[in-house]
Amino acid sequence: MSTAILPVATRAQVRAYAVALARRHPRALAGALALHALAAISGLVAPRLLGGLVDGVRTGTAHIDAVGAAIAGFVIVQGVLTRYAYFASARLGERVMAELREEFVGRVLGLPLSRVERAGTGDLVSRTSRDVGELSGVVREAVPEMVIGSVTVVLTLGALVLTGPLVALPVLLGVPPIVLGMRWYLKRARDGYLREEAAWAELTDGLAETVQGARTVEAFGLQRRRIARGDADIARSFSRERYTLGLRTVLFPVVDGGYVLPVVGTLVIGGLLHAHGHATLGQVTAATLYVQQLIGPVDMLLTRMDEVQIGGASLARLLGVGNVPADRVPTSARPDGERIAVRDVRYAYRPGHDVLHGVDLALRPGERLAMVGPSGAGKSTLGRLVAGIDGPRSGAVEVGDDAPVPLVELPLDELRGHVALVTQEHHVFRGTLRDNLVMANPDATDDQIRAALEAVDWDGPDLTVQVGAAGEDLSPAQAQQLALARLVLADPHTLVLDEATSLLDPRAARRLERSLAAVLDGRTVVAIAHRLHTAHDADRVAVVEGGRITELGTHEDLLAENGSYAALWTSWHGDRQPADNP
Amino acid sequence: MPVSDPGTPDHTSPTRYLLWLVRVQRRSVIGVAVLGSLFFLSPALMPAVIGRAIDDGVAGEDTGALLRWAGVLSALGVLQMVSSVTRHRLAVFNWLSAAYRTIQIVTRQTTRLGATLPKRLTAGEVVSVGISDVARLGDVLDIVGRGTGSVVAIAVVAVLLLVTSWPLGLVVLVGVPLILALAAPLLRPYERREDAHRELVSELNSTATDLVAGLRVLRGVGGEGLFAERYRRRSQDVRRAGVRVAWAESRISGAEVLLPGLLVALVTWVGAHFAQDHRITIGQLVAFYGYAVFLVEPLRTIGEMAQKVTKGRVAAGRVCRLLAVEPEITLSGTRAVEGPAELVDAASGLVVRPGRVTAVAAADPRDAAAVADRLGRYAEGDVTYNGVPLAEVADVRSKVLVAVNEDRLFSGPLRNTLSPPSGASGASGLDVAIEAAAADDIVEVDGLDGHVAEAGREFSGGQRQRLRLVRALAADPDVLVLVEPTSAVDAHTESAIAERIGRARSGRTTVIATTSPLVLDRADHVAFVEHGEVVAEGTHRDLLDTEPRYAAVVTRGAS
Repeated sequence: MSTAILPVATRAQVRAYAVALARRHPRALAGALALHALAAISGLVAPRLLGGLVDGVRTGTAHIDAVGAAIAGFVIVQGVLTRYAYFASARLGERVMAELREEFVGRVLGLPLSRVERAGTGDLVSRTSRDVGELSGVVREAVPEMVIGSVTVVLTLGALVLTGPLVALPVLLGVPPIVLGMRWYLKRARDGYLREEAAWAELTDGLAETVQGARTVEAFGLQRRRIARGDADIARSFSRERYTLGLRTVLFPVVDGGYVLPVVGTLVIGGLLHAHGHATLGQVTAATLYVQQLIGPVDMLLTRMDEVQIGGASLARLLGVGNVPADRVPTSARPDGERIAVRDVRYAYRPGHDVLHGVDLALRPGERLAMVGPSGAGKSTLGRLVAGIDGPRSGAVEVGDDAPVPLVELPLDELRGHVALVTQEHHVFRGTLRDNLVMANPDATDDQIRAALEAVDWDGPDLTVQVGAAGEDLSPAQAQQLALARLVLADPHTLVLDEATSLLDPRAARRLERSLAAVLDGRTVVAIAHRLHTAHDADRVAVVEGGRITELGTHEDLLAENGSYAALWTSWHGDRQPADNP
Repeated sequence: MPVSDPGTPDHTSPTRYLLWLVRVQRRSVIGVAVLGSLFFLSPALMPAVIGRAIDDGVAGEDTGALLRWAGVLSALGVLQMVSSVTRHRLAVFNWLSAAYRTIQIVTRQTTRLGATLPKRLTAGEVVSVGISDVARLGDVLDIVGRGTGSVVAIAVVAVLLLVTSWPLGLVVLVGVPLILALAAPLLRPYERREDAHRELVSELNSTATDLVAGLRVLRGVGGEGLFAERYRRRSQDVRRAGVRVAWAESRISGAEVLLPGLLVALVTWVGAHFAQDHRITIGQLVAFYGYAVFLVEPLRTIGEMAQKVTKGRVAAGRVCRLLAVEPEITLSGTRAVEGPAELVDAASGLVVRPGRVTAVAAADPRDAAAVADRLGRYAEGDVTYNGVPLAEVADVRSKVLVAVNEDRLFSGPLRNTLSPPSGASGASGLDVAIEAAAADDIVEVDGLDGHVAEAGREFSGGQRQRLRLVRALAADPDVLVLVEPTSAVDAHTESAIAERIGRARSGRTTVIATTSPLVLDRADHVAFVEHGEVVAEGTHRDLLDTEPRYAAVVTRGAS
């Protein structure tokens, strides 16, 4: 089974998307920024007023009560503004995140059918859960905090310069350690944290396996092996945690130094300036307080930086899903009939390794054709080509009478009206039973839905009952019935059933096939059969071996030919002759 | 890490489990508490130092004093630098060792419970212990250090304040807890909304994961529009809930600015009056301003500690519940029985002869499963092995292997997935098993060193079934019980497997529960079970001729 890993978007794509996203709501963005700026400005008044107060107290000219009231007033304004600024940016973040995830799901739903059929869902599931979750934290918290941090830093620096250009200079002492430290750290942090996270994922996946396979562990005596696996996962996780911890061990003291240096510098240089009459005591006090006040927003900015970086990686994976090239080029040609024909078809998963070697097969409308053969012979591949999911490497699979159209030139909606593939994967979606059925035909009435259920001998819950992961459990047989009922509703003229009955216990399968026979009457059916009675019931049997159709004809014809089919049948049915004449 | 033996936890109550975690790593817990105190102490002392620097150095225009105090300030900075990073390292270590240790304990308990686990707990419950609960336990160990530091810092600052000016000190010491008390009621609506939001998010995630898991079906039969719309509706619900959370949260962030800010304003106003009356110095005024700003953080840490310990106890409760489960079937037999020997199930009357392939064809598949469970002692039953009750037989699990379709393939190199833990059958045994299960084509693709994904999900149902069969055959037990081992493979392959299984198991005892004629035909002996009891025995062909009910079951009512 080849697992084609889905692509990841390039840095340029991510950047362009982020910019477009920011521009999509210019007014909301400008409003949030303005509120944050105003809040930050009102937060800068208090140290300045305290500075003035210090000077006033010394000279005995302070209006203490007025200044105290002013400080309180600005604090109230700042509190109110902060609240609304926060709310405005959170609301914007929620909106952007909703758009992001809805667009992602749209991209997933538009993935080419052939890619979905072949790629495992594991990668996609982790993008859907892990990456969306990761990004959600970034968009809702990290990005707004970075914005707030930047706005506050810029304005505080402004206030510092206004207090006095000379006393503002020592703040630059903090720049080299912080900038150099962060550059060193960010270069390594992203990969470090991604590896750390991957190790945690492996650790929890390993635990999940042990838990889900608890019975197997006991039956096969795998206790020690599972414990060893868990311990090895822990050791890996720990070594990766140690790496990022090492990064922080370097970063933290450097950045802390970057915080303390300006405070010390402002005091010392401010004191010297004051001694030489270049600064008032109030200016030195205010400057010292501003420099201290810078630490909070700078820290906020720095701690969120690597999160935003990791969020960028998640975004790249979400956008990457849209990079899968389309697998069909629909033309406007529409078929004039229901006849499907396979002409000299070859197909390879890997170049140079054909798994089908020139197959010809003309389906007769309304017939039931069973395909039998050992696994790996190409039955499923041929089935997918007949269903129009993949296109052949050479040759053609076409539908129509006089002017046949290749299946891969039909748009998906049109294709589904002609032919459908049912595999042994029978997913029951979360939702009501009705939800699970109307997906195949959104216009279906309740009568039609009930008729479809009746056709498959439905013995499960009623239409309004919740099924799927969060609802009532359906047995494998019921899941299969459900899948077939969907097909009845979709109403294609040709059906490809791949191993469609394999998971049922034999009698249930038998019952289902019988009831379906009536429904499928008039439809062309290609059944990739595991069970020989399916072949026995079919109009024609095709034996596929080594990428070729080696035997083709009715059950009786093939028995008479005495080839591999006949040998299999004899073994299956023992000495007893098939009950051809009930 | 990991430790070789995670120890035996006290799981009699959640609190005791937490205390046990603290006890087993007490040295680093004490270390982090000491470092946490130092970490808070330096910012706690900074306002005082800055105040002195302003008084003596700047206002007093004494460069020597200024430099001295600047030196002290730098020393405090260095102290903070060092204590901050060492505290962080130790705290991370504590967090990780609590989390890892708990994961080890959960893994060991899971393997101890085995087949009992799925009957008593859902897999989701246990896995969520491993994912989210361990993080909460780690948080408890982490907060212990910072919490202690906060308490120490508050005490130190309180002393400094009261010594400098007791009325002003009192304003700060009463004001700060008052702020926290005032802000506390804002937390509850926020938490309520956050819970509602989290629930909707997990609902939305399930919708998305469900959609992706069923993507093949969805793209095959259609319905994309319907599902996109449903996802969009849920996503908008999440957005609205998120906005409601933000509304409550924004009140908190506003209060976090407003309340301490008002206290600072009050301190500044009172302090300025004191300074004007020369009851305190200018520097002390600046220091008080600094204290009022500083104290908010350690007090918030104490609030955080209360929250985290509460959450940690809930998490510890889940761990305790898991640890309290005991295996349903005790395997304490001590009598050594040498195989091959006869295995008899009294309830169904099934007699399994040693060294042969016995097929059990049941009209109702549940009957066959029940027989298999009793034979392997996964359920209590009156079963004897060589005349000895199975409950008394030593090493039942290694003697009798029951392989069912619910068995899981584990991820890792294919060779590890397939070979028995003891490695008893060796490489040749594995080759024989691969051949017997007709799994050569699967192994050929990437070889035995190829990687198997989680649960073998990259393989088709039929391939997984054959790989499970390889594993069961490679384990090479005295008695192998296979339940419907070929239900998902095609007739060609089934025929090949049926033919080879007997050869691979020659000299050993094999029981196959099946209704496939291809397999039944190759069995040495067939027992037909109806209503839980063996009603007919013989070879497949005999039974076809003599027992019409059997014929009806295995040829499915003959068309």
